[in-house]
Amino acid sequence: MSVVTVAVPSGRLLEGGMRTLEAAGYLTAGTWRSTRRLILPCADGAVRCLIAKPVDLLAYVEHGAADLGIAGKDMLLEQGRDVYELVDLGFGFCRGVLAVPAGAVETWERKSHLRIATKYPRITERYFWRRGRPVEIIGLNGTVELAPQVGLADGIVDVVMTGRTLRENRLVEVDEVFRSTARLVVNRVSLRSRAEPVAAVVEQLRLAAGAAGGASSRREGGVELR
Amino acid sequence: MRATVDAVLAEMARWGYRELATPTLEYLDVLVRGDGGGAGDRLFKLIDRGGELLALRPEMTTPVARLVATRLRDAPLPLRLAYAGQVFRGREIGPGGLREFPQVGCELIGARTLEADAEIVALAVESLRAAGVRPFSLSLGHVGVLRAILAGLALPEEDAARVRALLYQKDFVGIRDVLDRRGAPARTVDALLALPTLRGSAALAHARRLVEATDSQDILRDLATLGEILDAYGVGDAVTVDLSIIRDFDYYTGIVFEGHTPSLGVPLLGGGRYDRLLERFGVAYPATGFAVRVERVLAASPQEDDRWAPDVVIAFADGARDDALACARALRQRDLVVTVEASGRPWDEVARRALEGGAGRAVLVRRAAAVVREAGGSEREIPLAGLLELGRAAREPR
Repeated sequence: MSVVTVAVPSGRLLEGGMRTLEAAGYLTAGTWRSTRRLILPCADGAVRCLIAKPVDLLAYVEHGAADLGIAGKDMLLEQGRDVYELVDLGFGFCRGVLAVPAGAVETWERKSHLRIATKYPRITERYFWRRGRPVEIIGLNGTVELAPQVGLADGIVDVVMTGRTLRENRLVEVDEVFRSTARLVVNRVSLRSRAEPVAAVVEQLRLAAGAAGGASSRREGGVELR
Repeated sequence: MRATVDAVLAEMARWGYRELATPTLEYLDVLVRGDGGGAGDRLFKLIDRGGELLALRPEMTTPVARLVATRLRDAPLPLRLAYAGQVFRGREIGPGGLREFPQVGCELIGARTLEADAEIVALAVESLRAAGVRPFSLSLGHVGVLRAILAGLALPEEDAARVRALLYQKDFVGIRDVLDRRGAPARTVDALLALPTLRGSAALAHARRLVEATDSQDILRDLATLGEILDAYGVGDAVTVDLSIIRDFDYYTGIVFEGHTPSLGVPLLGGGRYDRLLERFGVAYPATGFAVRVERVLAASPQEDDRWAPDVVIAFADGARDDALACARALRQRDLVVTVEASGRPWDEVARRALEGGAGRAVLVRRAAAVVREAGGSEREIPLAGLLELGRAAREPR
C-alpha cells in the first residue's frame, strides 16, 4: 500500500520515461529492456512501474490504478483528464501539425467541405472551432497520413518529429496545432491520501528531469495549443 | 446502498439537518441560474409538451437553493438542510461512465462564520465515518489563497483568465509557461508550483510567505483557527490543510474541501462555501455544504453482503393453506421475513432450495402440525402453535 505506482507509456515515450526513472534511481540501468513484464518492481521497493499503452495511460492515473504517470502533452490535451500535471519532463518533444497534400497547399482553405483525418479528434475540433471553420473529423487510430492519399480526407492533424513521414507521403505542414513533451501527471487523491511518498517521488523525478536538461526544451515548447 | 444513504442521513439528522425532497426535473433556467457543481453543458435536457425547457438535476444544491428562496423564504436562519437523491450528468467520453448517480449531502444556509464552516467540515468527516469508509481523510483549502497569489502577480486580465483556466485543469506546467513568459519572479512561480505537494502547517507557512495582502493573510489565519475548532470537534486528525484543492472558482467563495480514501482515485465527497448562489434566487444568504458520492463510498467500502434470504420459508400440505397463511402473518408481526411457497413445488425441493439460498429455516405446515427443517438439515415435527416460539434461527455468518 505504501508502494508508489508510476505508469510509463509504451511506444515513443518509453525510452525517455525509463531513463528518467533510472536517473531518479528507481530503476537499474537497462533492466527494463530485457523483460516483457508489464509491472516492474523498482530498485528500492518503494516504487513500482507499470507499462501502459499511451492512449490508456491517463485512465490508469485518473482512476488511481497508478499514482503517477508519464504522459505526452498531446494525450493530455486530447483526453482532458482530471489529473494534476506537475512537471514538464522535457523529453519526447513533438509538434502537432495540420498538413495537406502538396498539391492542395494553395487551395485547401477554399474547400467548402473540409475533411480532416486525425488521432486527435477533440484537439482538431477545438482548433477549427476557434477559427470558425466547419470541418468533418475522421477519427483514425494510426497511419493517418494514408487518408489524404486514398481520398478519405483532405488533410490531417498529426504529430511530427522529423517531418520525414510527411515528406514521404507528399504532405505539407500548413499550420502548427500544438507542441508536446512528456509530462509528469499525478492522481488527485494519491497527492493527498498518500501525500508523503508521492510527493517524494514527484520531487525525485522533477530533479531527474531537470538534470537531463528538461528545462531547455520546456522554454521552446511554450505554446501548447494555438 | 440504501443502508449507506440512511446512515449518512441519520448522522446529519443528529446534527439537526432536516431532510428535504426536491423534484428530479427542474426548469432549465433554474439550473442554469444556479450552475452549481460545474454541470454546465452536461445537463440532460427535455422539452415539455407545452414547449417548456426542463432538465434532470445535475446536483442538489441549486434545487435546494430554489426551495430556500421560495417555500422556506420566511424560515428562521440558519437553515440546516439535508437531501438524498439521484443526480444526472451527460458524459462526453464514451460509454461506461455513470450518467446517473446517487448523492447525499447537506447545506448550512444563513451563517457566514468560521463556526459554520467548521460544523460543515466536521459533519463531512462524521458522514464518511457513518458511511463506513475506513480509512479516509479530508483535504481543506480556500479559494481565496490561490486567488490572492495570482492577484499579487498583477497579470494582465487575459493572462489571469488563462491561468485560472489552467488551474481548473490542474495544469501546473502550463501555469509555469504563462508566468515565465510574463516575467513573474522565479521565486514566486516556484513557490506557487510547490503548493500541490505541500500539506498542513507547512502549506500554511509556505502560503504566508507567498501572499502579502492583509485580507489573504486573514484567510490563512482563519484556516489555522478552523483547524483549532476542528480539533475541538474531535475530527482534527482526519483533516489536512491543502491549498491546492481546486474546485469551481466561480461557484465557491471560501473554504473548499474533498474527502479521500487511499483505495479510490476519485474524491468521495466535495464541498465548500458558496455565498453567491442564493442571491441569484433573490435571497442573499451565505451558505456552505457538501455532497457525498454514494457509489464511490460503496466502491471504497468492504464488500457488502448482497445475498438476501428470508428468515422462514413456508410450504403447506393440501388443505393447510389457511393455517400456513395465518402462521406467516403471525411471524411477520414478529418482524421476521417470511415467504410462502407460490410455485407448488414439492416440500423437499422447497426446503432444500430455501436452505441452500441462506434462509433461516423451512417449514411445512400440515393440518395442526408443522415440519421444521433447520439449516443443518435436521427435521422435526412440532405442534403449529410451537412455530411462533421458535424465534429467529441463528444463521451462519456469511
